[in-house]
Amino acid sequence: MKKTETGCIRKFLYKENTVGYVFALPFIFGFVCFSLVPILTSFYYAFTDFSLGSKTAELVGFKNYVRLFQDEVFLKSLGVTVKYVLFSVPLKLAFALFVAFLLTRKSGLVTLYRSLYYVPSLVGGSVAVILVWKQLFARKGLINTMFAGIGMPTVNWFGDQTLAIVPLILMSVWQFGSSMIIFAAGLKEIPTSYYEAAKIDGANGFQTFFRITMPCLSPIVLYNLVMQTISAFMVFTQVAIMTSGGPNNSTNVYAYNVYKQAFTYNDMGYACAMSWFMLVVMSIITLIIFKTSKMWVFSEAGD
Amino acid sequence: MKKKLVSLFIAASMVASLTACGGNDSSNSSAAPEETPKETSTEDSGKADAQPEEAEASGQENTSDEQITLRMAWWGSQTRHDLTVEVIEMYEKEHPNVNIEYEFFSFDDYFTKLKTLVASDQVWDIFQLGGNFPMYMDKIYPLDEYVESGVVDVSKISDAYLKITQDFDGTQLGLSNGLNTYGIAYDVDMFNAAGVALPDENWTWDDYAAAARAIHENTGNFGTSGFSTSEFIAGCSTYIGQLGEVGEYSFFNLDLTGMGFDDASMLEPYIQMRADLIKEGASPDAGAEAEVTNIENDFLVTGESGMTWVAVNQFPTIYDICKAEGRTLGLAPLPRVTSDGPSGAAIQSSQMLCVSQDSEHKQAAAEFISWFQNSTECNNVLQGERGIPVNEDVRAALKANAAEGQQIMYDFVDLVGTFEMPEKVNVLSPDGQDQVVDNYRNYIQQVVFGEITAKEAAEKTYADAQAIFE
Amino acid sequence: MKIKKRVTKTVYHLFVVLFGMLMIYPVLWMISGSFKDNAEILRGSLGLFPENLKLTNYATGWSGFGGISFTTFFKNSIIITAIATLGTVISSALVAYALSRVRFRGRKFWFTCMIATMLLPGQVIMIPSYLIWHRLGLVPGYLPLIIPNFCGQAFFIYQMMQFMSGIPRELDEAATIDGCSKYSIFTHIIMPLLKPSIVTTVIIQFYWKWDDYMGPLLYLSKPQSYTVSLAIKMFADASSTTDYGAMFAMSTLSLIPVFLIFLFFNRYLVEGIGTSGLKG
Repeated sequence: MKKTETGCIRKFLYKENTVGYVFALPFIFGFVCFSLVPILTSFYYAFTDFSLGSKTAELVGFKNYVRLFQDEVFLKSLGVTVKYVLFSVPLKLAFALFVAFLLTRKSGLVTLYRSLYYVPSLVGGSVAVILVWKQLFARKGLINTMFAGIGMPTVNWFGDQTLAIVPLILMSVWQFGSSMIIFAAGLKEIPTSYYEAAKIDGANGFQTFFRITMPCLSPIVLYNLVMQTISAFMVFTQVAIMTSGGPNNSTNVYAYNVYKQAFTYNDMGYACAMSWFMLVVMSIITLIIFKTSKMWVFSEAGD
Repeated sequence: MKKKLVSLFIAASMVASLTACGGNDSSNSSAAPEETPKETSTEDSGKADAQPEEAEASGQENTSDEQITLRMAWWGSQTRHDLTVEVIEMYEKEHPNVNIEYEFFSFDDYFTKLKTLVASDQVWDIFQLGGNFPMYMDKIYPLDEYVESGVVDVSKISDAYLKITQDFDGTQLGLSNGLNTYGIAYDVDMFNAAGVALPDENWTWDDYAAAARAIHENTGNFGTSGFSTSEFIAGCSTYIGQLGEVGEYSFFNLDLTGMGFDDASMLEPYIQMRADLIKEGASPDAGAEAEVTNIENDFLVTGESGMTWVAVNQFPTIYDICKAEGRTLGLAPLPRVTSDGPSGAAIQSSQMLCVSQDSEHKQAAAEFISWFQNSTECNNVLQGERGIPVNEDVRAALKANAAEGQQIMYDFVDLVGTFEMPEKVNVLSPDGQDQVVDNYRNYIQQVVFGEITAKEAAEKTYADAQAIFE
Repeated sequence: MKIKKRVTKTVYHLFVVLFGMLMIYPVLWMISGSFKDNAEILRGSLGLFPENLKLTNYATGWSGFGGISFTTFFKNSIIITAIATLGTVISSALVAYALSRVRFRGRKFWFTCMIATMLLPGQVIMIPSYLIWHRLGLVPGYLPLIIPNFCGQAFFIYQMMQFMSGIPRELDEAATIDGCSKYSIFTHIIMPLLKPSIVTTVIIQFYWKWDDYMGPLLYLSKPQSYTVSLAIKMFADASSTTDYGAMFAMSTLSLIPVFLIFLFFNRYLVEGIGTSGLKG
């Protein structure tokens, strides 16, 4: 009797469904408690005039959503954010892949080099480093000193509406380290036998890269693309410290705008509506990336 | 059978998690509407608490053997943190039954944190607020009853200085940490080098602009720089107060229910002047301005500008820095529209300390605030870093030992005190002003970039400000 | 031929080193800033060598604020970061395994939920989250900063899933035939092969957690419990005086643990990949 009972439990435990939920339990617990509730709360706030200072919230219907489309600052911030994402993500990924590839050589120094290139990412979130970066692009900063040195006109980076976003994009590209590490690890995962086979078949470096490296790396590329796109949409600290959104809102990216509405202008309801609008926009973009990924991602495990 | 069991188990666990979530969620999403009755109840209980406390106030010894903990917070610099901690320890030594847990932050972080505490009814017993306090009115426990009972000593604080931390109806919201007013700090040598006469106390905006241009042309430096955040109050809003008779106009009306002037075009000449100075290079553009992060690296201090706006409590600091480099700074009143017109100047409270509605020891908190503002011993440590003390004895004591830069600051505040001022001044800023100021700054930039005219900028600013009250 | 190879090699190393130096110039500048006096920093000097070497920045910086030194801040940061990183690794690996290797009902749904958690900006769910922790009575305290990390983090779950999709399913199948359960497949096959991904997670999560100041700002209250990142943020206060020299000095020191972790695990990263037995 007892034996069959334990057997029963064993069998139950080994069911795919049980196994799945046992392993996924930490996430499900965390999701329900710490994500779902805040997300639903913010969804509710988006239909109210909730403000943190006064704590009163009245339902205002779709007013906040309607306001989005009449708010020139918000519309401008949308454009700025898209511009930032479109420039920073591809540049960063290309750069990360390039450096990762550069560092696959078999050399004792490669570990050292990789550490060197990883430093910007390790320190990029620190306030001090962002201040230094801002200093580099100051009117009398290093970049302009160099420009003057080679006889080029100096640039007033943070005073120019079209150029002010450039230091922000460059800083994002500069922090290519975590993408690089992931690419590097991915490159190492590619079985050497594939390359050996390619060599025997007489493939050149170019062919090897596009026929073997890229397909094998494609799940990693997908991962980095999704992650970097999402985090680029969320860029905040660099903007807050370097430009505060200026000049004339030309670097007022979406997350910074949300923060300002919620905390400086004390309009939490409107900030929540903004976030939900962007959630939809980003979901669509992520979905597009996932859908198209079926065409170019090669999965060894199959699905 | 087994399959059924499995799905049952999962269903059960799902239900459990769903109800957990549902329970949490409903209490949370409906939190805001429920808050209203809850808030009044805390207020009631607060008032109810106050009754017995007040009764005890006559025999204050009663409270002294009960061990209490007060939470206190402020924003500021490292100097301020160190000095304030020092006086807190001093207070704890004098009052062994009081233990003060303190927190300190930078300015932005302080308000982020305060907002979370407001949302959770946990505001510190003693907290610091600036001109934006109307936003937190619900969280301030007025000091009136303690002033009446003598727990808070105001005998050495003049009515005028009590007024700067009062609501329109005379409710004492807190005690000011220090007096403050705006002025123009200038580089004496740069004025001389450019051959420009030093500003006098009746100088006008035309003189100001002319001086800025002359300095820019003759020395290549900026004529005038300064935080554009303080520019709105020190410049734009003061400018409106200078038009017409003394007290005829103000940017917002006195009870913050609408505008204090009715013609948007009154702003136009000022905005035009600002934009022109920036366009000509006599004043920093957005890019240069972004490089100034605090008064210590303002272009005046780095020797790249002839003038800057300054809240006078910061003047001693920059005076000392420049003196160490062999330069001399002067301090002039804000320019006027006409030399015999109103000064538009106001003596304000730099910040104040308030007692919170959430506090369980409101009286003890009020007692500390009283000591903080009135004790000479305490202020000898603080050295007026938050502004000029409001207590006249304390002020006299500090003034007697003031260093050069501080002396200029004290004399300046005395001078501004002699200016004719309206009966009532608006020391508050309405909820929503931050957005108006940010937009105003952008409009000026748009004028500089040639996207809109000064007239349009004035109209847009006016419309934005008016929208607050709708 | 041999000469040509040597030339290519030298050019390669030269290029990599020079380019690397350019990359870390801002960091070097910051380190040199920690030896400069305030006036020199404010003047915006760009040289890497201070005009007059000032070592006191470290002493003044380390003494901290209001009588609390950086010893306390470092201790707090290390405790929070170490526990949170450990939690992230364990929980993310578990969840990633479920989502990529186990075919259970609702898998697609939970996957979508996981991606969704990455799409809302933190600023918006910050206050509601705070209220939850407050209702649970855990504010102020370290738990709100640590517990969520034990629930798996989407960024890392997804990363591990990507790595797992590269591990041949034949291995699982073979193990199943040998009588392994899903549990032992996880512990005996997937975990060891996941090493590079775990090392990546440790490195990234460690510095994210180390740099995070919004969380500590909201959930900690006594200065005695502040983290390094929060303490450094106070040096960089824009509204009052700022001691840049001391800030750079403390920022430099705060990079050391992050960098040590990286160097330590970087070795394992290479080893882990070398021995991962994925040769085919």
